[in-house]
Amino acid sequence: MSSESSKKRKPKVIRSDGAPAEGKRNRSDTEQEGKYYSEEAEVDLRDPGRDYELYKYTCQELQRLMAEIQDLKSRGGKDVAIEIEERRIQSCVHFMTLKKLNRLAHIRLKKGRDQTHEAKQKVDAYHLQLQNLLYEVMHLQKEITKCLEFKSKHEEIDLVSLEEFYKEAPPDISKAEVTMGDPHQQTLARLDWELEQRKRLAEKYRECLSNKEKILKEIEVKKEYLSSLQPRLNSIMQASLPVQEYLFMPFDQAHKQYETARHLPPPLYVLFVQATAYGQACAHMKSSQPPRQDKTLSVAIEGSVDEAKALFKPPEDSQDDESDSDAEEEQTTRRRPTLGVQLDDKRKEMLKRHPLSVMLDLKCKDDSVLHLTFYYLMNLNIMTVKAKVTTAMELITPISAGDLLSPDSVLSCLYPGDHGKKTPNPANQYQFDKVGILTLSDYVLELGHPYLWVQKLGGLHFPKEQPQQTVIADHSLSASHMETTMKLLKTRVQSRLALHKQFASLEHGIVPVTSDCQYLFPAKVVSRLVKWVTVAHEDYMELHFTKDIVDAGLAGDTNLYYMALIERGTAKLQAAVVLNPGYSSIPPVFQLCLNWKGEKTNSNDDNIRAMEGEVNVCYKELCGPWPSHQLLTNQLQRLCVLLDVYLETESHDDSVEGPKEFPQEKMCLRLFRGPSRMKPFKYNHPQGFFSHR
Amino acid sequence: MERAVPLAVPLGQTEVFQALQRLHMTIFSQSVSPCGKFLAAGNNYGQIAIFSLSSALSSEAKEESKKPVVTFQVLHFSLAHDGPVYSMVSTDRHLLSAGDGEVKAWLWAEMLKKGCKELWRRQPPYRTSLEVPEINALLLVPKENSLILAGGDCQLHTMDLETGTFTRVLRGHTDYIHCLALRERSPEVLSGGEDGAVRLWDLRTAKEVQTIEVYKHEECSRPHNGRWIGCLATDSDWMVCGGGPALTLWHLRSSTPTTIFPIRAPQKHVTFYQDLILSAGQGRCVNQWQLSGELKAQVPGSSPGLLSLSLNQQPAAPECKVLTAAGNSCRVDVFTNLGYRAFSLSF
Repeated sequence: MSSESSKKRKPKVIRSDGAPAEGKRNRSDTEQEGKYYSEEAEVDLRDPGRDYELYKYTCQELQRLMAEIQDLKSRGGKDVAIEIEERRIQSCVHFMTLKKLNRLAHIRLKKGRDQTHEAKQKVDAYHLQLQNLLYEVMHLQKEITKCLEFKSKHEEIDLVSLEEFYKEAPPDISKAEVTMGDPHQQTLARLDWELEQRKRLAEKYRECLSNKEKILKEIEVKKEYLSSLQPRLNSIMQASLPVQEYLFMPFDQAHKQYETARHLPPPLYVLFVQATAYGQACAHMKSSQPPRQDKTLSVAIEGSVDEAKALFKPPEDSQDDESDSDAEEEQTTRRRPTLGVQLDDKRKEMLKRHPLSVMLDLKCKDDSVLHLTFYYLMNLNIMTVKAKVTTAMELITPISAGDLLSPDSVLSCLYPGDHGKKTPNPANQYQFDKVGILTLSDYVLELGHPYLWVQKLGGLHFPKEQPQQTVIADHSLSASHMETTMKLLKTRVQSRLALHKQFASLEHGIVPVTSDCQYLFPAKVVSRLVKWVTVAHEDYMELHFTKDIVDAGLAGDTNLYYMALIERGTAKLQAAVVLNPGYSSIPPVFQLCLNWKGEKTNSNDDNIRAMEGEVNVCYKELCGPWPSHQLLTNQLQRLCVLLDVYLETESHDDSVEGPKEFPQEKMCLRLFRGPSRMKPFKYNHPQGFFSHR
Repeated sequence: MERAVPLAVPLGQTEVFQALQRLHMTIFSQSVSPCGKFLAAGNNYGQIAIFSLSSALSSEAKEESKKPVVTFQVLHFSLAHDGPVYSMVSTDRHLLSAGDGEVKAWLWAEMLKKGCKELWRRQPPYRTSLEVPEINALLLVPKENSLILAGGDCQLHTMDLETGTFTRVLRGHTDYIHCLALRERSPEVLSGGEDGAVRLWDLRTAKEVQTIEVYKHEECSRPHNGRWIGCLATDSDWMVCGGGPALTLWHLRSSTPTTIFPIRAPQKHVTFYQDLILSAGQGRCVNQWQLSGELKAQVPGSSPGLLSLSLNQQPAAPECKVLTAAGNSCRVDVFTNLGYRAFSLSF
């Protein structure tokens, strides 16, 4: 190792030595040129191992010579100089050899380097080639996957099924023998067939289009013809008007009404259609007579059609509203936009009626008419009704009959419990909460009553169990309720009118008994009705002898309450009467209190209780001929008879002096009967005696 | 007095009629079944309802168990209308009911199975009259297996329950008979009537043995109420009766009034119970008296007037030992002990 390192160092030394001594060695350089080339070739010939041996040897010789020179010098002498010279020459030769070896080593090194470089370059080239090839492979693989993933458009095309294809396609397209085995060819063939078919269909489509064009043109022509017909028809209609009037055939009027009806909101429209239909059906049923002008049911539409039309243009509508409210505000300049006023406006808006309303006039037999006006509250989706009764003759209104025909109560409880003070639409309550309306009943007088039957006539049904999102007017519902309701309305008006008449005479102390009910009572009735007044519900509830009725739930606030006083001598019989709005199908209920020898009511006298039972429970025999409008008066007359019986059969107290106050005039089989010592209250008509029930 | 106003329920025609019918109902008679678990009640519309005392008294009683198990109409073929059921008694198998003119028998076992068909009917031999006389009182005489009927024709009829024939007629009353009572030791029957007399009959001879005209005794006479005797009960030598005259305890052998009970309202039912006398009548209360005439208790019921009391002492059903009271309402009040009204059975 040390020798090698020295070998390496040596050329450097030589070079550093050589550079400054260039001029001195110029000649030798040219000489060396020639040698260099020979040396280069020489290198290949010489064995490096032997060179190494030579090197080692030369170095040893040099060391030996140096040592000898040293030795000689140290000894000194004259003859020594020659020997030193000799030895120096020998060492110079050795130096030459060393130099030669050094050069050779340099050349060898260079050669080795060159060889390494060459080899490295070769490896680099190979590596590059490998890289290229790898890249190529990758690219090709990518191409392959791309190809594999390629989606052909034909896959999206919905082809006819295989069987169908072979069945329908012509053989020159299907080429069964080729395509059967080769799915590619098969697909191609199928695509061909598809193309063929599509071409055909496109052809057909074009044909159809042209056909359509043609027909459109025809329609155009016909339309033109029709529109030209309209004015002509109009003129004919105009011309026919006088004839219609002359013949009482109001086709045109009906037509106009239907035109207006188109603007009605759905529930009112349903009502209008169903009521008209019912009216016509009624007229037909009675058409054995010639058609009369006075129908029992007439239907009309009231209100402004223009306003109704305006409702159907929503954007304008809102503007209108604003301008309307502006105008209103200008009119009432005092108005300030406080919260209360805003709420008020909101309330008004909520309770707004549709501008159109339906008028129903129901004519009864005695020429009295029930006018019903049906309204539709747009925002609440309910219908209301206002009622008015007009009679043929002017009626003298008795004081106690005040409520009988009042629009507020005349239709109350047409169906049980339907008092028309609450809104039938459950959704309304939430709407009310928003604007601070407690109940609808505060507005009923102004808006009309939202009876349940009104909703039914308008086809509105609000189920209680499952609230629906939207309630739609339903014709069948309206139709199913129309007849019963109309009949009920008629009965209601008639019974109210009958009561109205009866009250007039009751107030004068006369109980009117018609001839066909005369058989229910004995000829002589001594007790007299002296008072007939109306009482308030609260007052009725506070009477001490009406507790049972109140407890039984028969004293609702929809009923009408009256007080009758029947007198005979010193005996005074008070009768508190509950008149159900459903009179006369639901009987009036009497509670009695007799003031005679102390106060007697049903709680302390069984016979008073029995008298109440006679009029309340056994009312059916007092109904008289249908429709039993005489029920109330018959009950009152019966009470007079019962009082007579009660007083006349009262056991006479032997200990009291003097004659009986009420001598027994009635013929009775027995005075008392049964464990509760009932009196003979039952009147037997033809024989005229009284017996026990 | 403040009273709660009940919610006004909307009523239709039939509901109103039913409410009125219930309001004017009077329950005239009651009878406990031989098993002691059921109570029959008859009303003025001629309906008999069977209530189950055992289920109404059980701990898991609901509102429905206070309603009748079965209700049926007593049809009177001889009359145009349905008369009231004035009196009922139970034998060991049958329920006997009487009202207008006839006594009818029903099998308890079948009624409880809701098969309400009458077993037989009998009409006492009446003298012809415009009106069919009613039967106000029925009395069983167990010793001779017979039934005594009394009422509108002022006579007592005895009927042999074995053969169904009427065996005796006891005449003497001048007006219709309200009530009957049996003396347990001797075969004697007491009857009280509208004529104000209590008559004592010997069944062996079919003769009247004693007459007490209560209204003639100044102590108990109340002329403004009338002279009628509405109720009667007897226990050995003692007899208690009431009605128009005051409720009075009599000693029969000496026929003298011993105690006059201080109550103004006419009494419609009276009975001995242990050492007490229970009475009811006009007014809401069941009155309990000591024999000395002291009022021990007044227990209010739900009806404004009571017509009948029934003590269920059937040994077969000790758990149903109750007092029931009925009258001028559709309710039968049930008193589990004598102290207060537990609940009401209702038609």
